[in-house]
Amino acid sequence: MILLQLLINGLVTGCALGVVAISFALVYSTTRIFHVAHAGVYTLAGYIAWLLLSHGVPEVIALAAAALVCAATGALIQHQLYARLERRGATHLVVLIASLGLLAVMQNIIAAVFSPNILQFPVPWANRTVALGGIALTYAQLLTVLICLAAYAGVVWFAHFTALGKRIRAVASNPFLAQITRLQPNTVYVYVVAIASAIVALPGVLVPLDLGLQPYGGITPLLTATIAMIAGGVGSISGAFLLSIVIAELQNLSLLAIPGEWSIGITFFIFVIFMLFRPTGLFSTAR
Amino acid sequence: MTAYLQAEGLDHHFGGLHALQDCTFDIEPGRITCLVGPNGAGKTTIFNAITGFLRPDEGHVTFRGRSLDGLRPQAIVHAGIARSFQNLRLFTELTALDNVMVALPRQFAEEPLGAIFRPLHAARSQRPRRDDAMQALHHVGLADRARDTVRNLSYGEQKLLTVARLLATGAELLLLDEPASGLSAGALDAVMALLRRLQSEGKTLLVVEHNTRVVQQIADEVLFLHQGHLIARGPPAQIIADPALAEIYFGGAL
Amino acid sequence: MDFLLSYLALASIYVMLGLSTNLLVGIVGIFSVSQAAVFGVGAYIVGHFLMAAAPMPFLAALAIAMLCCITLNILVTLPSLRVSGDYFVVTSFGIQLLATAVFTNWTAGTGGASGMPGIPPPDLFGYQLQSTWQLMALCMAGMLLACLCFWLVMRAPFGRLLRAIREDERAVAAAGKSVLRAKVSAAALAGAFAGLAGGIYATFLSFIDPSSFDLDASILLLTMVVVGGARTLAGSIAGPFLLLALPQILTLLDIPTTFAATARQLIYGLLLIAFMLFRPQGLLGERL
Repeated sequence: MILLQLLINGLVTGCALGVVAISFALVYSTTRIFHVAHAGVYTLAGYIAWLLLSHGVPEVIALAAAALVCAATGALIQHQLYARLERRGATHLVVLIASLGLLAVMQNIIAAVFSPNILQFPVPWANRTVALGGIALTYAQLLTVLICLAAYAGVVWFAHFTALGKRIRAVASNPFLAQITRLQPNTVYVYVVAIASAIVALPGVLVPLDLGLQPYGGITPLLTATIAMIAGGVGSISGAFLLSIVIAELQNLSLLAIPGEWSIGITFFIFVIFMLFRPTGLFSTAR
Repeated sequence: MTAYLQAEGLDHHFGGLHALQDCTFDIEPGRITCLVGPNGAGKTTIFNAITGFLRPDEGHVTFRGRSLDGLRPQAIVHAGIARSFQNLRLFTELTALDNVMVALPRQFAEEPLGAIFRPLHAARSQRPRRDDAMQALHHVGLADRARDTVRNLSYGEQKLLTVARLLATGAELLLLDEPASGLSAGALDAVMALLRRLQSEGKTLLVVEHNTRVVQQIADEVLFLHQGHLIARGPPAQIIADPALAEIYFGGAL
Repeated sequence: MDFLLSYLALASIYVMLGLSTNLLVGIVGIFSVSQAAVFGVGAYIVGHFLMAAAPMPFLAALAIAMLCCITLNILVTLPSLRVSGDYFVVTSFGIQLLATAVFTNWTAGTGGASGMPGIPPPDLFGYQLQSTWQLMALCMAGMLLACLCFWLVMRAPFGRLLRAIREDERAVAAAGKSVLRAKVSAAALAGAFAGLAGGIYATFLSFIDPSSFDLDASILLLTMVVVGGARTLAGSIAGPFLLLALPQILTLLDIPTTFAATARQLIYGLLLIAFMLFRPQGLLGERL
């Protein structure tokens, strides 16, 4: 059942993309920074996990450690780079360029330290498949769906039911007001980027578990995720997650008609349609 | 007879703020009309609505019988209405002359093809335009500051420059947002004299102003705006003397 | 000597690209990582027409390439400029990645990943350019032409309009000028420069492949503008000349070739961060 297999694959990819999307959206809607270097953090996660796994560290610890390292990296990026740039009155363009530079640095350090070629995770059980009524899922894929869905639920709960989450949403909805009340947006920004970086570590480890590690493989998922975020409506967590799945499904279904190398074209095409007809996305909140 | 500038039923919300509430008024040509009201009354919002920087939720604006609804700011300037900004918005890195020249309409080589393929013509055609710009500067008394960068001008001079920029557009209806605020007495008199001179040359002015002395001295008519709605209009003496309006203006909420 | 000629020729080509990128990023203020894609389009079009069954004269092929690149830039910037600036970031990445996919996978048109070899040297009005000297002269001629156009444009009313737009778009609209039209015109001009550079590049190197036109190449172009300096002619010239000397410096440091590309990209990234933090105006430019 090719169709069902494609749909399931799309769901897996979509869930992973969804987490990338909501983590990126978290940073973007709060700090207003288009944090391109997020792709670098995503990539870093996989390599940290690989490093630990290669030294016999148990999988769960490796995943958690990767998330922690990414959180620290994210906090560092916000605190040392973005905050500094903001203090110097940098324009939006300047921050974008700096973020892009950081992405290049991260990707290439990884390539130099590890390898510019594809690395596989030393986790043999990940590729064993489980058959579910005519279709085959690898354990890696299964894990991806479960963990990413859990992450989505976690972020929604965090945003709406925790004090920090509410504070973040307050800052996001009115940064100026946040500045003059005691919400301390700058501290919030560091938390936000740290949390988002920890979250993106999850697909950062799970996706390469299935497909292999590659230093330059972060930008395409990030791009797709941002398109999902925009199409879903900036500010809507569920919108971003849902649209990620939709886009991933469309990409997979398109494989029936066109070769895989062109799937980026599908994503882009979707983006153009949205930009022309509904630039604010499907579920945007106010802005 | 169709009014010169007619705003009808303008209504607009900014989120929860009802900035304009069924605002209706008209302006007569050749007069200086002052728009007054407490802070937050919606004066700048009206300017934005008239000049295309804001599309009101409801309502219409017509100018000389022609609807301005939905037009972009550039189109409205071409139609003959130009506005200044409360916070000046001058091009600070450019000279006074360049600030004015940007606003001159229909220039050659304001796009790359002309600049590249007919550079000599481009340079030549700038000379009469430069004269036009100098004339506008002369009109506001800034002719000798033409080559100075805006950053080196005093606040009063910068305010005059905003008027020169308006004049350069050739518009007949000028919307001035607080042209006298923040000025010393001498500069104030210069601005008021300038505005009266412009009127005598056939321009129509709609001026937002807080300074009652300025309003008294230059206005032919005053429109009093409160909470996005026009609540009174009349000659300045009458409006200023009205105790109920004074209460709103000085002691009112907000 | 040959090496020096080749450096000068490449630097000239990258100056044209630098002017193109500077127009978009420095002057209009659009974040563009798709300049290399447009460069590539220009190169492949000229390569295609020079090697077609009925080969076209060089200038004709170049003209077509430039027209296509102009159109491409207009098509890309026009819709993006009407919505928020960040949308263009996505568009720009998308264009670049899409272009790389096309260059790599459309084997029939571009030769795919193995590239397009054997592009003949240009003939100008019947005179066939042959030696490295002559080809370098062509590159320099292109560079001088582009510099002249840039200079003419910036001192014309259009240049003044662009500078005003950079300061305050609302005020420009209030002055009765169309900001959108000006930005799209600037993007079109940037496209022309990129197409010119691409066409000359194709015929100078005689072999082109997708790796010269990928995201890394776009990052290099951004680095050139950032280091050389935004918005000025001097910056657009300094950046390429300096950054193209970098690979030579790296070979002096004895970095193994497998690491060379990675090391270069790492340095570009570091330069971008450093300049944005400590010297946003670059060496000879104005503040970004």
